[in-house]
Amino acid sequence: MEPTDIELVELVRGGDDDSFRILVERHSRALYRSAYRVTGNAADADDVVQEAFLRSYRALASFDSRATFTTWLHRIAINCALDLLDSRKRRDGRISDGEDLSLLPSQTATPDRVVLGSEMQRAIAAAMAELTGNERTAFVLRHFEGMPLEEIGQILGTKLNATKNTVFRAVRKLRQQLQPFTGSVV
Amino acid sequence: MNHLTQEELILRYYGEFDAGAHLGECAECRDELARLARVLDQVNAIKVPEPEAEYEAQVWNRLSWRLRGEKRKSRNVTKWLAAAAMIAIAFLTGLLVSRKDDVRPQLAETATNPRPAATPANAAAAASTETTASNRNPGAGTQQQRDRILLVVVGDHFDESERMLVELTNLTPDGETDIATEQKRAEELLASNRLYRRTATDRGEENVATLLDELEPVLMQIAHAPSQVSANELRRMQKRVEAKGLVFKLRVVRAGVRSEANLPQTPTI
Repeated sequence: MEPTDIELVELVRGGDDDSFRILVERHSRALYRSAYRVTGNAADADDVVQEAFLRSYRALASFDSRATFTTWLHRIAINCALDLLDSRKRRDGRISDGEDLSLLPSQTATPDRVVLGSEMQRAIAAAMAELTGNERTAFVLRHFEGMPLEEIGQILGTKLNATKNTVFRAVRKLRQQLQPFTGSVV
Repeated sequence: MNHLTQEELILRYYGEFDAGAHLGECAECRDELARLARVLDQVNAIKVPEPEAEYEAQVWNRLSWRLRGEKRKSRNVTKWLAAAAMIAIAFLTGLLVSRKDDVRPQLAETATNPRPAATPANAAAAASTETTASNRNPGAGTQQQRDRILLVVVGDHFDESERMLVELTNLTPDGETDIATEQKRAEELLASNRLYRRTATDRGEENVATLLDELEPVLMQIAHAPSQVSANELRRMQKRVEAKGLVFKLRVVRAGVRSEANLPQTPTI
């Protein structure tokens, strides 16, 4: 039977780095997906995964074994991603500079031309890029990871109501941006 | 009848609000929920590029190196201090040697073109414009010397890295290939690469720092690969070097660095 995350964490705390390798291999792909959705960029997502594992290794002593390792790790990764977005925002004045160019909407795209496929992909990526770091994170965790609002609040360090409002704002902005492509009315 | 708010509809979409009874009776709210769902369902269409099959192993390879580095760093503080002291000595020696070199031509020129008063200021006025500038501002001169030393060592580092990468890309991927030599060199280069990158960043040598930054993960990959690599693994390494155009960039930046440091250009491999 495979050891649980918590058992592995205990082994790592005892100095067994091989157990950390199992944790890395177990969680890196899921972490990459979350990081990609927050950063919108493969290279950044990769950096976030590296940084998250490094930070988690350093902080393993402070991990409370009653918590879920996955949630704890995700929290670290999301914080890494937010740090990255913040530093980019400070440097460039806007978050979307880190986006893959291929994900940006083409200038000739009009609602009637956009049905599905790559144009839709671009429209969604552009709409996501308009969200703030917290909105994007809250939305990704709720929408893609299916994380309960309480846990999202723990990651963002916000109370339940504030977390809800962040998700609501994100959804409202996405609706506004994507409304022309789906025909729905806000 | 009170309709559901946008917030309630969003919570309902995520299954965090029970509005079954109201939705059963209210067609308007049902339509509104359907419109919201249409948008949010579309968001699922965003694709995340799936990392390659060995992604987990790659993450660990890079990470384990950093973890080893962390451990080494905490264990070997004294070694780092010793290294720092050696660098300081090297700098001082370099400065002394360069200063001697600068003084000689000044003295020679002063001897052949005697001035009314052979003060350092007059000797400096007789020397080249560059020497004059550095004598007027001794701080700037010292800074220039330091920069020159940095450029010299970084130029050598680029030279050595280029040679190692060229040798690696020239290997023929055929069965198991022994890359132990390249690996050892990559490991040595990696240690100095970090030191130079930090220094170059601190000194605002952006081109140099950027290239060192690009070089680092490649050196890391080579240093951490097994000493016997399969044809596929070797091809992957070679592709990575080629895709980044590293050899070419090393040549270009090295040439710039050497010309800035007034060194003769070394022939390309």
